Amino acid sequence: MSTLKTTLTGYAGYRGREGHWSFLLHRITGLGVVLFLTIHIIDIAFVYFRPALFLEALALYQTTLFGIGEIALIFCVFFHGVNGLRIAYFDMFKPGMWSIEMQRKSTRTTLIISIILWLPAAFWMVRNILLHNYGIVLFGG
Amino acid sequence: MAATTETVRRVKVKPNYEMIAWKWMRYSAFALIPLVWIHAILQDVVVGVHAMDLGYVAERWASIFWRVFDALLLGFAFAHGVNGLRQVLNDFIHGERGRKILNWGLFIFWLVVFLIGAIALIGGVNQQFPLE
Repeated sequence: MSTLKTTLTGYAGYRGREGHWSFLLHRITGLGVVLFLTIHIIDIAFVYFRPALFLEALALYQTTLFGIGEIALIFCVFFHGVNGLRIAYFDMFKPGMWSIEMQRKSTRTTLIISIILWLPAAFWMVRNILLHNYGIVLFGG
Repeated sequence: MAATTETVRRVKVKPNYEMIAWKWMRYSAFALIPLVWIHAILQDVVVGVHAMDLGYVAERWASIFWRVFDALLLGFAFAHGVNGLRQVLNDFIHGERGRKILNWGLFIFWLVVFLIGAIALIGGVNQQFPLE
């Protein structure tokens, strides 16, 4: 139990600013994606094992609550990927540039790139939810 | 101040299990960038969950390209994810015994879910055609 507490307080209390936040965000997004992925493999397997259950899962994914979850999922996938590329780039090509300043700058850039990639996707997903769940035509009926 | 000299020493280290796992985390990461991004954008944004049914999956899996694509996704993404989960849990579990249980537990979890996905992917859409 003590290791759990030490690790968690370390996660919360370490004051590494951008480097620390990107570490945390990388973990949270990664854990979020693997949780969804496990559920997703099972629900797609229903297509073969129990087609009726697949349709029930699909109806669940079409609800507004799950729709919001999917929008968050897309952000997770983009951030985790862009941040992974950032780490791999410095590791493989510019190991001499692992300075604190550079890390802070590149972390902020990573977040901006992720948001730029995510916004159009999020907009279109919101549009789909409004259109199909509420009959509100936001853009191009 | 005395001049400093720099010596670069290269040491060949025999790769152990953790190093191989780390390398494959990176290889799979590079594969997953196009695989996951294309998959997520196509299914969640371009097509959207509201336009899906059994017929959609049947149509997609009728193409060998998408079946191979999905097989690569299943293989790389889930292994990358479960190994990532293992790395996170290693922060909390330090004992030799605990890590052994963790490694085997996660391996069995990975294998079971992977096999469920693989069987479904090979089996295809299990319904009489034409679909309702």
